[in-house]
Amino acid sequence: MSKKFMTKVTALGLIMALMTVMLTGCRFGFASDPDDPNEEEEVIPIDTSVDTFEYDSSLEGTSITLLNSKAEIQVALGEMAAAFEEKSGVHVEVMPVTDGDSPYTKVVSLYNSGNPPTLSILDTTDVIALAEEKAADLTEEEWTKETEEYLTEVNGKVYSFPLCIEGRGIIYNKAAIEEALGREFDPEAITTQDEFVELLDTLVEAGIEKPVSVAKEDWSLGAHHLQYIYETYDGTSEGAQEVIEKIKKGKLNLDSYDRLSEFLDMFDVLKKYNVAKGDPLGADYDEMAIDLADGKTAFWFNGNWAWPNLAEAGAENEDEYGFLPYFMNNDADDFANSQIQGSPSKQVMLDGQIATEKEQAAAKEFLNWIVYSEIGQQMLVKTCNLIPPFTNNPYEPADPLSRDIYEKVQEQKAFNASAIVPNDHWSVLGAAMQKYLADRSGREALTESIQEYWDEQE
Amino acid sequence: MKSKNNVKDFGMFALPGLFCFLAVVIVPFVYGVYLTLTDWNGVSNVKNFIGFKNFAGVVKDTQFWTSLLLTFKYVIVVVLLVNVFAFAIAYLLTRGIKGQNFFRAGFFTPNLIGGIVLGYIWQFVFSRVFVSIGESTGWKLFEVSWLSDPTNAFIALVVVSVWQLSGYMILIYVAGFMGLSEDVLEAASIDGASGFVKLKNIIMPLMMSSVTICLFLTLSRAFMVYDVNLSLTAGAPYGTTEMAAMHVYEKAFTSRQFGVGQSEALILFIIVACISGLQVYFTKKQEVEA
Repeated sequence: MSKKFMTKVTALGLIMALMTVMLTGCRFGFASDPDDPNEEEEVIPIDTSVDTFEYDSSLEGTSITLLNSKAEIQVALGEMAAAFEEKSGVHVEVMPVTDGDSPYTKVVSLYNSGNPPTLSILDTTDVIALAEEKAADLTEEEWTKETEEYLTEVNGKVYSFPLCIEGRGIIYNKAAIEEALGREFDPEAITTQDEFVELLDTLVEAGIEKPVSVAKEDWSLGAHHLQYIYETYDGTSEGAQEVIEKIKKGKLNLDSYDRLSEFLDMFDVLKKYNVAKGDPLGADYDEMAIDLADGKTAFWFNGNWAWPNLAEAGAENEDEYGFLPYFMNNDADDFANSQIQGSPSKQVMLDGQIATEKEQAAAKEFLNWIVYSEIGQQMLVKTCNLIPPFTNNPYEPADPLSRDIYEKVQEQKAFNASAIVPNDHWSVLGAAMQKYLADRSGREALTESIQEYWDEQE
Repeated sequence: MKSKNNVKDFGMFALPGLFCFLAVVIVPFVYGVYLTLTDWNGVSNVKNFIGFKNFAGVVKDTQFWTSLLLTFKYVIVVVLLVNVFAFAIAYLLTRGIKGQNFFRAGFFTPNLIGGIVLGYIWQFVFSRVFVSIGESTGWKLFEVSWLSDPTNAFIALVVVSVWQLSGYMILIYVAGFMGLSEDVLEAASIDGASGFVKLKNIIMPLMMSSVTICLFLTLSRAFMVYDVNLSLTAGAPYGTTEMAAMHVYEKAFTSRQFGVGQSEALILFIIVACISGLQVYFTKKQEVEA
């Protein structure tokens, strides 16, 4: 009898314990997830004493929705929405795209259920796919004047609001390099591929055996590495589009396209000094952040979105990290060897199909508030930690990677080109690049895959 | 009077269920079949009828056929291993060995962990734990991550799936063994049957109903594998471990070819339905009453 009772008590206890775990602790924040929403961040105070923005009082009480596909700013966006509501009386409901859903799938399913978000944060390709069918025309908005370079046009019209600039290149850890070299390191002194290789060799001699980290992820290889062949065509988005059209129509022979061979030369350099050279496809993303922060490596090819990973690995805001360009050749005058790529990556689209006029007006006010109000400007940079694409925003981002891109953009040391490629480009050609990275295919096979991919597109 | 009652009973008990079944299974299915004949891209307001063009797209999609072939390989290996393993363990766990209840619970636990979580756990094991074992012992087997080589990544997928699925099957087989009539077994022993003969001629035929269920469950689950595939390998390295279900999803949502993806899903459905149907038909025929 008592034994049975004890069993029951134990069982009950176990169930209770399991339930507690399920209800409270069951929020898995994998370190490998670059968009970990559970991460705690310091709160940077926002000065709300000055606000010269004019609010439209007729919009008070309106409620709009904002679909957010940038998980790492979910909390910050909520704070922003609250600050906006306090001032304007417009309620902004921030909806996250849940894990496992792609933003595009989410927004499409919301449209199909007749309940689309008023505003959605999407990638540029998604905006282009949806713009003419669903989005409201924003060409006449005032903020377009503050960000002329960073507007995305679809048949001459603007359908989206550039939320932030993101950039990529070869991240360096200045302290680690200087410690190994025993002298000061000036990133701007390196202007050609040969000089970069020389530096790598010196670092190897100085004890950093394999100074480079190359992520094996297909999005990194297929989108961030490979897209240099389009984006460095002439350093503009139009140029990238032009070269893509040429490849599609067979007017450009990839075998003799110098940007492709130059890109592969650089990729081979990274491959040769790769810390995971023995098993490049077994490389671990988190370890790369740790390696760079610890000084086991000196370089990591990535973008400013890698900062949360580096911060988790121990890097501080005061540390000196920055970007080197993706050195394509030995011509010091080539822009690709002196500029890094930086372009608007997330766009806000306004629904023009279901949203009422009042909702659209409220949404437009929110966008203007981000650009023109002192509070919105601060919150975009300090709370969300984004690099603002608006010239009138005086605030600077706090983390070294974003700051480096911000400064390079200001000093014209960044080129604004982003290739608009089909949505499966990163996954199909990412696989081809993985093969090349693991030495399971050569240049010819890779070139063939690229050509084949474009031949299949209509 | 009676027929009136029948109508009322049907209305009360069957209609809600039937309605739900129609609403969430039959209607979407029929609609899905209809979508394979249109050029709908998931967004636009117009759907143009384009006949069988999407199926022509499926024929051209070589990656789909590769993934289907891989899925067949995977299904064969997983179904065999899971059932042999589960049958053997269940046999041992009904012999009255010490702590068998503990073992039963232990083997069942992996089944309680969701496929996604399971995949991440094993990913850590394969690419971090095994590699560090390899580093410290120098064993060639664990020198590099299993997930970076096509063959080893496939084996990894099989290992994890078998580990996950076996628990549930063990449970069904254990129930089957418990339901075996002692009289029949005793009679067989008295008649001189022992060991393998008893297993082959007495136990197997009596266990056929459990085998039918287990085969059906493993077959359909293995064919439709997605979660473990996604979280363990995500098709890596370079798309060589992409199973059919995952390819269908990628085709529809990453390549945004909804029509072709939907047609591939339909083809996959027909294949799975035929194979599972045949399996149930044939194993049912083997079932006997004690």
